[in-house]
Amino acid sequence: MFKKVDISIDFLGIHLDSPFILSAAPPTDELEMAERGLEEGWAGVILKTTSVEGNPVDLKNPMMSSFGPMSRKVVGLGNIDLISHHHIDVVEERVKYLKKKFPNKMIAASIMGASKEDWQTLVWRLKKAQVDLIECSFSCPQGSMGEEPGKMLAQSIEATEKVTRWVKEAADTTPVLIKITPQVTDIVEVAKAVKRGGADGITASNTIPSLTGVDIYTFEPYPTLFGEGAYSGLSGPAIKPITLRTIAEIARNVDIVISGNGGAFNWRDAVEFMAVGASNVQFCTLPMHYGFRTIRDLRSGLEHYLKEMGFASPMEIIGRALKNIKNQEDLVKPETRSEINYDKCIGCGLCYAACNDGGHMAISWDSELRKPTVNEDKCTGCAMCMQVCPVDAIRMKEKLDSKVHYFAERR
Amino acid sequence: MERKLDQTQALIEAERCLYCYDAPCEKACPAHVPVPEFIQSIRSGNLKGARELISLANPSIEVCGEVCPEEQFCQSVCTRTKIDTPIKIRELHKFVTDNVKLKDLELDLPPLNGRKVAIIGGGPAGLACARELRRFGVKSVIFEKKELGGIPVQEISKERLSDEISRSEAKQILELFNAEVRDKKITSINELHGEFDAVFISTGLTEELELDVKGVNLQNVYTARKLLKTIKSGMKTGLGKRVGVIGGGNVAVEVAAALKREDPSRDVEVVYRRGLKELRAFRDEIEEALELGVAFQFLAIPLEIKGTEKVEGLLCRRARLGETDSSGRRTFEEVPNSDFFIPFDTIVIAIGQKPSDIFSELEKTNNGLIKTNEDLETSMKGVFAGGDIVRGASTIVESVADGKKAAQSILKYLEGGKNV
Repeated sequence: MFKKVDISIDFLGIHLDSPFILSAAPPTDELEMAERGLEEGWAGVILKTTSVEGNPVDLKNPMMSSFGPMSRKVVGLGNIDLISHHHIDVVEERVKYLKKKFPNKMIAASIMGASKEDWQTLVWRLKKAQVDLIECSFSCPQGSMGEEPGKMLAQSIEATEKVTRWVKEAADTTPVLIKITPQVTDIVEVAKAVKRGGADGITASNTIPSLTGVDIYTFEPYPTLFGEGAYSGLSGPAIKPITLRTIAEIARNVDIVISGNGGAFNWRDAVEFMAVGASNVQFCTLPMHYGFRTIRDLRSGLEHYLKEMGFASPMEIIGRALKNIKNQEDLVKPETRSEINYDKCIGCGLCYAACNDGGHMAISWDSELRKPTVNEDKCTGCAMCMQVCPVDAIRMKEKLDSKVHYFAERR
Repeated sequence: MERKLDQTQALIEAERCLYCYDAPCEKACPAHVPVPEFIQSIRSGNLKGARELISLANPSIEVCGEVCPEEQFCQSVCTRTKIDTPIKIRELHKFVTDNVKLKDLELDLPPLNGRKVAIIGGGPAGLACARELRRFGVKSVIFEKKELGGIPVQEISKERLSDEISRSEAKQILELFNAEVRDKKITSINELHGEFDAVFISTGLTEELELDVKGVNLQNVYTARKLLKTIKSGMKTGLGKRVGVIGGGNVAVEVAAALKREDPSRDVEVVYRRGLKELRAFRDEIEEALELGVAFQFLAIPLEIKGTEKVEGLLCRRARLGETDSSGRRTFEEVPNSDFFIPFDTIVIAIGQKPSDIFSELEKTNNGLIKTNEDLETSMKGVFAGGDIVRGASTIVESVADGKKAAQSILKYLEGGKNV
């Protein structure tokens, strides 16, 4: 009934009917779930990270813990999950089955090994199963498959390059993505190591090592297993800003294909990921929270956005914001002032409180009229007032060389 | 009417609060309860802190959590209204009082300083005054001939306010704040024999206004507050099957609801001269009365109670609404040749209350109310007054606010003008 827009993309030579895929995580750990996800409309699946048969996977439950205000509990989701307890023999069969049933979807698998033999065996077996793409987890925050105990593989530049090379040797023409962690000093060096190792792309990034909470009455960490807990991998909206920076920083410095992952919760987030350099976007916490049906709004939101922007393909979005990302010292220095839209202002006084106690005391308050007024001489244009206004009645007027720009954050 | 929020609902509701600066809800609350502050404490899971904040501002927080007309005060000005719907402030307040009791908190009161204040009338204003004075080391002696607690204890129906809540709150103030109660009626300041350093009068309105129509002396004509007291005491009223309640305020609506509740097969009709908008009862109570099946006869001016010995019915004249008067309500005018008769076997008069004619030594208004200055001091030095005896019929929270304010004025007076 309504005209549809083509939101398909090409990703490392694979055709995706949208940029939205299910990441290697709980939603792809069971065959039936992966099938349902694809039937619901996701463009592809990366089956949950698998290993060789001899690798014991000792899962502990409860494994999930979240944090956020009561009205929205899952702002951040922490898990002490490991890789899949299904080994490569099961995953091989699943790849073959799914490839046959969904020839037009991307069927990918994720792997993790402890030795060169493991990595190359896993790759070889998946290749034989005709997998479309292999993702290598160098970054599961719970495991310690790196060179040193407790350290993730991607936290070592040398190991990253070396293992990438092993994988690519075995993969040959099958595309390989290396999934890294943002928990490093210099993400660019890691990305360069991935590129040197010969991978086709990089998945930026993974969950972030965290501690989601502590019960302040029993002092048990969350999630609690009989009073004890461990650090967990944090996902969900809370980590989106970190992922955005990670993707942007790689895209600005290394010429490599990026698959965005970590914290995208709607199509707008996905567009942001792509705008800073991701070629597609992986989702995990969103379907874990609200189910596979979320793909419908992801697709429709992107379609309408493309139409509105006059873009012919989602590929036009990729990297579009990068030229605008600068170092702080390279930014221009406009004269900025806060500007209040009194038609929208509801007189809550939060801008006054924020400016008075956390800004530059540039907003005065008329208690009778319940009206804030900006003192232009005192206002430095820090934009804190804009951040706390519940009705977006404040924007920043920037002047530079007689040109005027308004900074207002679109929600 | 179920108003109880569970923990999840309370937290979600608390999240909605904008935490306004200089918040209008707090200003609109006669007791100046720091609404955004206590909601912030709910949000952080600090319910004891929330209780402390509310308790400091409002000595009668249990009762107000149940029956405060929030649509008239805090909620009416909630900033959130400009976005969607106001925060359920009273429900949040009640969530706090339901979950934290005063005994859960540790009180820290200064030793008594030897000063003693007489409080005449142990209703919300008197109790609030006693508690506030004790916070500053002053002892109160409450003179109360009836049961301590005033209207909440004696008249508000059990369905709206449980005995447990109203009585325990009054008792708590006595016990925790060391007030003494004397079962004695005081009608003149002279009766206090110079035993006290100051006096606070909070006797409320004790007499009912009489309806000036023919037939008020017939059998089966009753006054509302006496009936409310009867119902509250657990006794049956034994009233008839067709009851007309004359009046347009909270008491009229309350008595109508109570009579309907007592006997659902009874027809109860509120007869009022003006329209629904002019009805001076709280919205919640009107809705509750309607749900119970109370009927309303608007724009009806009672002319005469008909009957030979007993009530047979009410002769009324139709009214129409006129201009808006100084109270913001529309006036009414009679419609010529529009008399009509409503058969009733019982009439309840609920047209308001007036003060009794006591404390003749004090200056009064034309309505017989005690005159005070801004500090609630009467024409006699050291004698203060507040609540309905000064304001006329008002709300519990306004009486509480007067009690607090009077206590502050008394403390100032006792310190010789020093602000405490």
